[in-house]
Amino acid sequence: MAQVLRRRGRIQVRLNPNEREALLSIIAKLAPQLAAVRSTTSRAYDEPDLQSEFVRWVKPESDRECDADLDAVRRSLESGEDTLPLTEAQAMSWLRTLNHLRLAAGQVLGVDDDDWMEEADDKTRASYEYGVLMALGYIQEELIAALDS
Amino acid sequence: MPTSTAPAPVATPTKREKAARQFGWNVVVWNDPVTLMSYVVLVFRRLFGYDHETATRLMLQVHNEGRAVVATQPREQAEVTVARLHAFGLQATMART
Repeated sequence: MAQVLRRRGRIQVRLNPNEREALLSIIAKLAPQLAAVRSTTSRAYDEPDLQSEFVRWVKPESDRECDADLDAVRRSLESGEDTLPLTEAQAMSWLRTLNHLRLAAGQVLGVDDDDWMEEADDKTRASYEYGVLMALGYIQEELIAALDS
Repeated sequence: MPTSTAPAPVATPTKREKAARQFGWNVVVWNDPVTLMSYVVLVFRRLFGYDHETATRLMLQVHNEGRAVVATQPREQAEVTVARLHAFGLQATMART
């Protein structure tokens, strides 16, 4: 099972080949969904003219940051190593990417209520995206604990 | 001979009003049902330098009330903050104080 440790100030993500393959598969499957996620999280202003300016001048930078995060995570997973050493900045990149992927999975499932987990039916619980939410949530919790330790 | 009228006294702005004029924009974070609470706390701590207690209180306000003002800043700075929150995948907007 995936593990995140903190050794001498460095964070280590330990993933076996199957887990790395599964994460790469999640990225490949949900990456096309990320643009839709970003469009729902990129409203800054209520005023249309100010929002247009924001989309034109500010949003591209945060989109570039998200793309760079995703590339960094993908490169780590493709390295072929079971232990992936991360700096704190890299761990934050992982957290951001995992959160965007979870949002994408939630969007596919149509999650729109805080009680969605309790209310999920058997079909939802058996779905690919539900598994993604659980698995990535677990890794996020592990990373957060490592960053806090 | 014309008489001069003394100008009407102007109320001295309170410290809070001065701060509102200086900063001007509230950064608001909105609840979403997918993002982990522990992640939101971490983001508030890392981005704003809040201690764990303050970050947790703000996260719970977002969760329970649907939104919370997490910072008050000048417009340009608030835009950067909102963009960074978006990069973390949080729903954040800005509004005049």
